[in-house]
Amino acid sequence: MISAYVSHKKINKKFYDFIDILKDAGVPVSTAETLDLFTALGHVGFDDRHVFRQTLRTSLVKDYTDIPVFDRCFDAFFGKKGPAKGSDLPSAVAGAMEMESLRDEGLSEQDLDSLTALLDDFIESLDDAIFFERTYQEILTLFLEDPVVASSSGALGMIIFNTRSRGQHGPMGDSGQRPDETINLNQVMLRQISRRVDERKIGTQIKDREQYLLNKFIYQLKPDEVKEMKELVRRFGQKLKNRISLRKKRVKHGGIDVKRTIRKNLQFGGTPFKIYHKDRKIDRPQLVVLCDISGSVNQYSRFMLLLTYTLQSLFSKVRTFAFISNMVEITPLFMEMNPDTALNSIFGDTDFTYGWGSNYGRCFNMFVREYSDSLTSKTTVLVLGDARNNNQDPGLESFIKITERTRNVFWLNPEKRHLWDWNDSIASIYREQCTEMREVNSFIDLSEFIDKLFTR
Amino acid sequence: MFQSVDQAIASLEKEKYICSKEIATTVYLAMKMEKPILVEGPAGVGKTELGKVIASSLGMDLLRLQCYEGLDEAKALYEWEYAKQLLYTQILKDMLGSMLSNEKTLADAVKKLSGEEDVFFSDKFLLPRPILMSIMSKKPTLLLIDEIDKSDSEFEAFLLEFLSDFQVSIPEIGTVRAAIKPFVLLTSNNAREMSDALKRRCLHLYIDYPSQELEEKIVTLKVPECSSHLVRELVKSVHAIRALQLKKEPSISETLDWAKALAILGRDVLDAETAMDTLNLILKYEKDIELVKKNAGKVFVH
Repeated sequence: MISAYVSHKKINKKFYDFIDILKDAGVPVSTAETLDLFTALGHVGFDDRHVFRQTLRTSLVKDYTDIPVFDRCFDAFFGKKGPAKGSDLPSAVAGAMEMESLRDEGLSEQDLDSLTALLDDFIESLDDAIFFERTYQEILTLFLEDPVVASSSGALGMIIFNTRSRGQHGPMGDSGQRPDETINLNQVMLRQISRRVDERKIGTQIKDREQYLLNKFIYQLKPDEVKEMKELVRRFGQKLKNRISLRKKRVKHGGIDVKRTIRKNLQFGGTPFKIYHKDRKIDRPQLVVLCDISGSVNQYSRFMLLLTYTLQSLFSKVRTFAFISNMVEITPLFMEMNPDTALNSIFGDTDFTYGWGSNYGRCFNMFVREYSDSLTSKTTVLVLGDARNNNQDPGLESFIKITERTRNVFWLNPEKRHLWDWNDSIASIYREQCTEMREVNSFIDLSEFIDKLFTR
Repeated sequence: MFQSVDQAIASLEKEKYICSKEIATTVYLAMKMEKPILVEGPAGVGKTELGKVIASSLGMDLLRLQCYEGLDEAKALYEWEYAKQLLYTQILKDMLGSMLSNEKTLADAVKKLSGEEDVFFSDKFLLPRPILMSIMSKKPTLLLIDEIDKSDSEFEAFLLEFLSDFQVSIPEIGTVRAAIKPFVLLTSNNAREMSDALKRRCLHLYIDYPSQELEEKIVTLKVPECSSHLVRELVKSVHAIRALQLKKEPSISETLDWAKALAILGRDVLDAETAMDTLNLILKYEKDIELVKKNAGKVFVH
């Protein structure tokens, strides 16, 4: 019963399509997982949506951070509600109804079936590139000109012929004898094609949207995009964290552990048969983050903090300071709230401003005076800001002190490189003292930077 | 073996384990497909418990392997009993002597002895550890490999042969294959990412905190002395607390502790005062407790 369903070629095609969509969306699916899915489908019915969805999820998705993406693809592809019953998938139902409407144009049941079959075969034979590059209308034209399609006979052949010639002469051409019918066919076919093409594009659309957001300059994000982006940062932050922690584990072995080697080799009469190594202490950097939270770079600092705290467990210690023209430690706030709420609350409670606008010099001086206990030879300092000092004293002496007492100082500058030093920016003055000053605009830039931080 | 998804839910409920359709589907499929399951999810949602109840519900033997950093083959797979081997050699010294007395040269003696060495590397001197035990067992067995994320990646690598073919290769003896394939459950707390090779061999199951409805059912089942009214209020509060930004969210086991405590105290309603006094049962950090107290209006009904 069910296995007979599953072996059905067309339904299999549906699953292959879905797997392609998942891959487009960035969820890796290997051949082994595809095989698993088909084995699994033989054991369950399609009538319970929860079971059906979980069958797909459990065999295809192996990374829990990919589950939200899977759910979106699933909803888009198999429809949001109602049981998914084999070929009775919602879009297929709508498609069949549309085809039915062609019956009024004098097409017989047989003609309809063969038209559907022709369309299916044609769509299946298409290259992916055509899906993604051509318009619906272009695909329709390709379909009508397909040799197999063009050679159809009977009423169907007639209609296809008419549609094709209309298409060539433009919609208002004078060759069509029965304009209504050809227009109808044209529209139905177009809708059929567009539905199939859209379906095929679900994955790429999700991926494109993600890429668009991740690569977009953070300060250009619109409010609704910021919300979406936060979800994304959490997901990608988790992925980054998992990846880095895996890498850390791989380079673990240190020198020979003499005690353990002797103890373990007692069974060989004390001959050191097997050598045991010390576990190398995992080198987790201590992080001090100094964030300019003035209007110009506020949004950017928020994302950096969000990412930093997602990755918190990778560092042995994180201390965070925010400044405009006063330097304030905000570490405790992040301990109890998420970065977003924390940032909102500090604006209410704390006075960051002294005088007008950002004052880097004053803040560095303050930092050295009050918080230099946070600086050790293992510390990496991240400064986030545009180095627009409003023509005030750069406090270079203090900044040099910071660089001398720490391992690395990285300055992440959200401004484009050619704007550094322009107007009141004193980027180069600081840059000469830093390990590196980097232009970091988008989330992708940020995560690349963090990734590198661990391979250094 | 479970016959259907619904039967799996019903059988587990008999063992006092309420599970969602998602969990049951994966368990059912894994049994049918004879594949291991990798279970992930936050701490305290019943990952380990799932393994235990499946075993007891189907009358399987439960073997548990707790992973930790530095866990190696000798602790997980098998070990030669060196002490026993040595002891036997000592005891059999005379016999060995008489056996070898006829040999004229050293080379002949070695040759004769090497003909017998199989005796010392036979399963008599093999100490099976959980993984090998699960393979050699004559009864259906459930092997629970707990907190696999705590182990090293080398350990993961040598699990691969076992997970895909349910066999273990012992150089001295050969390959030991499972007569009855054990049902394998691996749990992970996401301390680190598992390798793709391992994931490919498993079905994946992510258990999240249960829905309000499901958690109410769990509490009612596990703490029957709680009135249904109290259960509803309690679970609602726990869900509200989870929505706050906490260091450590209360898990199901903490909800159950709380329910038990309130039942012992003989409360019928969850008034704010009682709740405040018993918050330390579900929250493990002082900061979290303070935060909840600050948001008391949002969290508690009374």
